[in-house]
Amino acid sequence: MKGKVIALGVLLLAAPLFGHHGGTSLYDTSKELTVDATVSEFQWTNPHVQIGLDAKDNKGKVTHWLLEASSPPVLVNRGWNRKSLQPGDIIKVTFNPSKRGGSVGRLVKLTKADGRELGSIGVGPEQ
Amino acid sequence: MQMRNRFCLSAAWLLIPALASGCSGRNARSASPAVPDLSGIWQGKAVQSLSLSDPTAQKPGEENDIPYTPWALARMKAARPATGPHATLADTTDPALKYADPDGYPRASIHPMRFKIVQTPDAIYQLWEYNKSWRQIALNRLHSEVPDISWFGESVGKWEGDTLVVDSVGFKDSTWLDPIGHPHSEDLHMIERIKRVDPNTLVFDFTFDDPKAYTKPWNGKLTFKLKNDGLMTENIYTISDELSFRQRFLNEKPSIPIRSSH
Repeated sequence: MKGKVIALGVLLLAAPLFGHHGGTSLYDTSKELTVDATVSEFQWTNPHVQIGLDAKDNKGKVTHWLLEASSPPVLVNRGWNRKSLQPGDIIKVTFNPSKRGGSVGRLVKLTKADGRELGSIGVGPEQ
Repeated sequence: MQMRNRFCLSAAWLLIPALASGCSGRNARSASPAVPDLSGIWQGKAVQSLSLSDPTAQKPGEENDIPYTPWALARMKAARPATGPHATLADTTDPALKYADPDGYPRASIHPMRFKIVQTPDAIYQLWEYNKSWRQIALNRLHSEVPDISWFGESVGKWEGDTLVVDSVGFKDSTWLDPIGHPHSEDLHMIERIKRVDPNTLVFDFTFDDPKAYTKPWNGKLTFKLKNDGLMTENIYTISDELSFRQRFLNEKPSIPIRSSH
């Protein structure tokens, strides 16, 4: 199962999102893709944190995904830090795919191997 | 004694410095008027528009509570924000994204990050995490004879009972009032009524008076919750970071060589 694409979900309603950096213009917020993947890069940077992933499908084909997460201070408020991910980490990750196609997306949430969940979209834990 | 301490704890947010001094065991300064304490770290819910009828910016330019002049409506229609029904990042005209201009005010407070209020007898300061920007509200004084034109304007304030009333002028007209692109001119005269309505809630009521942009004054409102949960962080928007982001996520060729920090 490791590294396998496991679900493609379509959401009927997308939660209100903060659009400072064009999230709704770049990504299809009505869709969520969930994959098991291996972290290849983790850049704790502005304007948005960047996560590189390698995900293997049922046929063994590896797709490299590049995901943007929220900005570092927003993620800190949601329990992240600059060492939350390391290259080689195995994670289950859910994201909105790009409207433009290609293997680019916006992170919604991820689950680490130890079961810890980290979210990206939203403003603080209560929202 | 226990009852007195409980009272001091529950009421300490309400009045400073007299009551706070009394609670600390020192004598209150008799000459110091008691005023509400606005200090703390505050965070609001993200809104896209200051329109009270359309906070999620679903019909920019057509809100029934914003009385545009033709000048302002033309600017509103020409704006290409990174939010709203026609959001675009690639072709945005948002000055804060396209040029990394300062957000200005009140847009600086419309952000999913926090600000800190530092309160002194002579001035109140808002310190924003985003872009490490700040604003000064000078207390109990008049505006400058010829206020400068600046990103955050010139603000003077006074207490009216439990409400801080802030009068601001001198705003640079290239800033947007909010992320959806509501414009203003250099004639903008903004009145804020700021009140800590309960220990954990701070409300800013705005009146925007700008005859060049709006045929009559209109109102906005922002609400913030106390977030005393740690240190202020840093989040600075730079052209080099933005070009790097656009290269990777939009496949854009950088207009200038990227200075990578990684």
